[in-house]
Amino acid sequence: MRAGAAQRAARSVRRAAMLAAAILVGTWGCAPGDAGVASQSDARVRAERRAYDGAPPTVPHEDMGMVCTECHNERGMPVDDLGFAPAEPHDGTAQAYSTGRCRQCHVFVLAEDTFAENDWVGLQQDLRAGRRLNALAPPTIPHRLFMRENCAACHTGPGARVAIATTHPERDRCRQCHVPAEGPDVFESAFGDGYAGEEGS
Amino acid sequence: MKRKRFLKVLGGGTAGIAAFSCADQERAAEIAARQGALQDSDLTWTKAPCRYCGTGCGVEVGVADGKIMAVRGDEANPVNRGLLCVKGYHLPAMLYGEDRLRYPMLKNANGGWDRISWDEALDLIASKYQEALDDSGPESVAFYGSGQWGVHDGYAVTKWFRGGLRSNNVEPNARLCMASAVMGFMTQFQSDEPMGCYEDFEAGDDFILWGNNMAEMHPVLFSRILANKRENPRVRIVDLATRRTATSDYADMYVEFKPNTDLALANGILHILIRDGKIDRPFLDENVVFRRGIEDRDEIGYGCWGADGTSTNPADGPAERYGFRDQASPSSLAELEAFLAEYTPARVSEITGVPIGQIEALAEMYGDQSRGTVSLWCMGVNQHVRGTWMNNLITDLHLLTGKISRPGANPFSLTGQPSACGTAREVGTLANRLPADMVVNNPEHRAKAEEIWGLEPGTIPARPGYHTMDMFRAFKRGDVKVMWIQTTNPWVTIPNLNRIEREPGDGRFMVVSDIYPTPTTEAADLVLPSAGWVEREGVFGNSERRTQHWEKAVEPPGEATEDAWQVMEVARRMGMGHLFPWPEDDWHEPMYEEYRLFGLGIGKDLASYQQLRETRGMLWPVVDGRETRYRYAAGFDPYVEKDEGVHFYKATNFGERAAFWLRPYHVAAEAPDEEFPLWLCTGRVLEHWHTGSMTRRVKQLHQAVPRNYVEINRVDAQEMGVKTGDRVRLVSRRGDLELEAAVDGRGQPPRGSVFVPFFDEARLINLLTLDAMDNISKEPDFKKCAVRLERV
Repeated sequence: MRAGAAQRAARSVRRAAMLAAAILVGTWGCAPGDAGVASQSDARVRAERRAYDGAPPTVPHEDMGMVCTECHNERGMPVDDLGFAPAEPHDGTAQAYSTGRCRQCHVFVLAEDTFAENDWVGLQQDLRAGRRLNALAPPTIPHRLFMRENCAACHTGPGARVAIATTHPERDRCRQCHVPAEGPDVFESAFGDGYAGEEGS
Repeated sequence: MKRKRFLKVLGGGTAGIAAFSCADQERAAEIAARQGALQDSDLTWTKAPCRYCGTGCGVEVGVADGKIMAVRGDEANPVNRGLLCVKGYHLPAMLYGEDRLRYPMLKNANGGWDRISWDEALDLIASKYQEALDDSGPESVAFYGSGQWGVHDGYAVTKWFRGGLRSNNVEPNARLCMASAVMGFMTQFQSDEPMGCYEDFEAGDDFILWGNNMAEMHPVLFSRILANKRENPRVRIVDLATRRTATSDYADMYVEFKPNTDLALANGILHILIRDGKIDRPFLDENVVFRRGIEDRDEIGYGCWGADGTSTNPADGPAERYGFRDQASPSSLAELEAFLAEYTPARVSEITGVPIGQIEALAEMYGDQSRGTVSLWCMGVNQHVRGTWMNNLITDLHLLTGKISRPGANPFSLTGQPSACGTAREVGTLANRLPADMVVNNPEHRAKAEEIWGLEPGTIPARPGYHTMDMFRAFKRGDVKVMWIQTTNPWVTIPNLNRIEREPGDGRFMVVSDIYPTPTTEAADLVLPSAGWVEREGVFGNSERRTQHWEKAVEPPGEATEDAWQVMEVARRMGMGHLFPWPEDDWHEPMYEEYRLFGLGIGKDLASYQQLRETRGMLWPVVDGRETRYRYAAGFDPYVEKDEGVHFYKATNFGERAAFWLRPYHVAAEAPDEEFPLWLCTGRVLEHWHTGSMTRRVKQLHQAVPRNYVEINRVDAQEMGVKTGDRVRLVSRRGDLELEAAVDGRGQPPRGSVFVPFFDEARLINLLTLDAMDNISKEPDFKKCAVRLERV
């Protein structure tokens, strides 16, 4: 119990720090050069590394000459001077696919120019929180689970953005309470209206 | 990590963040505005096959407000089960480059471009074709298409040309790509395309990759093999190659052979199988006949004039006609044994550079009846001066051991383009072909086509047209006067490009339909804007005989139109509208259903249009609504009536058996010497599709591989004093090119050889390559010629 309370205290300190970092990043404008470490939990930087929400991110560091999963392992790890290497989110894909070919989807950025102008902007991450039945109910999962089976990669630890960090990382059976909600469909009961569901944060 | 390195990372490696800070504020604002505005479920999702390679991955395309907003791997598609590669994930941006072709453009007298209307453009094409027909006959007109054509596009062209213009000068770029595989399957089974399917990747035990960098070129299929390997430790991967690649990193055995000696290696394996009695005698007796062709090197030749413009082979003659025809003579197992006597492990090791132990190990794998063996190949075997022979030899290994037409045991040819199978091979857009494996020089086949097309008997000409290599030479000579090119970029991809360059005022007329400007549109007289990928409805056929349909999801930009529509409109203006008698707003389904008549009842049955709409594609032959995973196999193929075993029912010339061909080792057309001491091999990289006209317009793909380079062996580089990033000049007998060196990059060529990707239109490696080819398939060899390297 005491340990739990201490953990919670530590967590709230950490969350406050991350919130501060997020605010800092949020107000960061044109100042060059200070983007690296602080930006790891910024939604806009997340967007900038992806062609659209759902596209594999490009690699925001140079080729280390190492196997990617040395750092991007099951839990992720801090890398000196560079920041936190997020965990690999793909663990469930082991069932169907090898995850050993990271660079089949994740590519380095080796040039700043473009070959031809292209102003396409795709789907952006929905930053509204998952839907809840009521304020105390667990939110549903607002994204597909394919290639994102390891919830902890994005929702716990230093790699997690504040807005989506879980308050209870010790409970590792996430999908016991959080279920995917991909479609807008509402079950229509033959016996009349059910709960309508409520959008909230 | 050292501080210095961190700074370097921030400075150079995080271009995305740097760009975000100032340069792309506007875009950032748009991204911010969109965040939260839409979610997955707000988009309209439709299914489509990926636009790029022959794998045929299923994607879901998400559309909002008439624009593609996202794609996702289609988890319901059995090809990829949700996974894509980096090209597939970045598909949407491919359509939205700012320099999309939007209007028909006509080259003016000053070499500039004038916008004209569609009516003017189509009338002009019709008049140019008519003029050439009137003045010089049907041999003076040509059409050069693509394995990236949808089925409708290729079908419209082949019907218009053969049935309307009465010309067989129709070719696809698949001649540069799959022609050797076509000849391989046709000479052995009288029916094109593989007998197996992608389920072989889970069912097999040993995967033998013949010159095939599958990890980069068919990444999603390679992932299926790797997944099988992880779950089943008994699975082995063997990489037979002339260069270390990403694929080699995952191989249990890497076998490096000298260029062109794969012929000797395959014969060496056959030798050991016979020596050790590891052959399936009952299978051979029941299902196989032996055949021998012409083996004289000078008689076959290499189909080129050689390096200095004079023939290396007198048989070619000055007229650039390639009269070589292979001739089959009966052979036998006993004769095979005598034929293989010289391919002892010791001699094969000497020729190939492969250690005897590895040759024995390969024979052990092929000969082990407790294990399923899948041989895989693509361009290394097909783009080969003896490409048909190599296709034959790989299949021979499976025939000798009976490892064919069953789950996990097959020779499996992978294709490069999304519809090389569906359009080039099945529709038959090659110079000598008709739909469903039929050929123009067979009177019965012509009669069947004329009947389906409602034409007078004798309409379709019997003489095959120009094959690709010949077509461009004929255009240069002036024997072809009008050529239309769709969905391909030959001014980047033809080997020895020097020979096709146009002279100003050459009096010829060239039309190019594409979605972006390319060196080929630059060489054209008239450029037409095409609708790309899901900007129109279409059908592709992938490597495993899967026919896949997609609906139009968004409007094309400007006045861009579908390739098939352009062709039909020109045909109508030439008085050939009877060939396309369908309503203007509903022609896709009836055209496809007419095409489908060619294959019904002969083992080439395609699924109905309605079935294609409802499924994630179906593997032909589709009989009674059911697809066929393993052809020729009892229990799988509805045309096989036996209870067990196989029946090669299409091979009527061989008594409904497969033909085992005896094929010897020949040297390459050009080999390194004192003046040009290095082998040059060319190919693709994972991030770019072919000539990069689509993928280079996607920021993430361009920035991952911004330009081409030359991979050099580390020891060679050290001896020359060259390191990664240094500029070097590559020189062949035909041209030279300056590039940056890459040492120990993603590919590592062995000593004495270099590798250059061909996607970079600003730095054309095909100015250096040799236009030698396989004289059976007429497919050129982009993988072998001699160069030297100079420091700049």
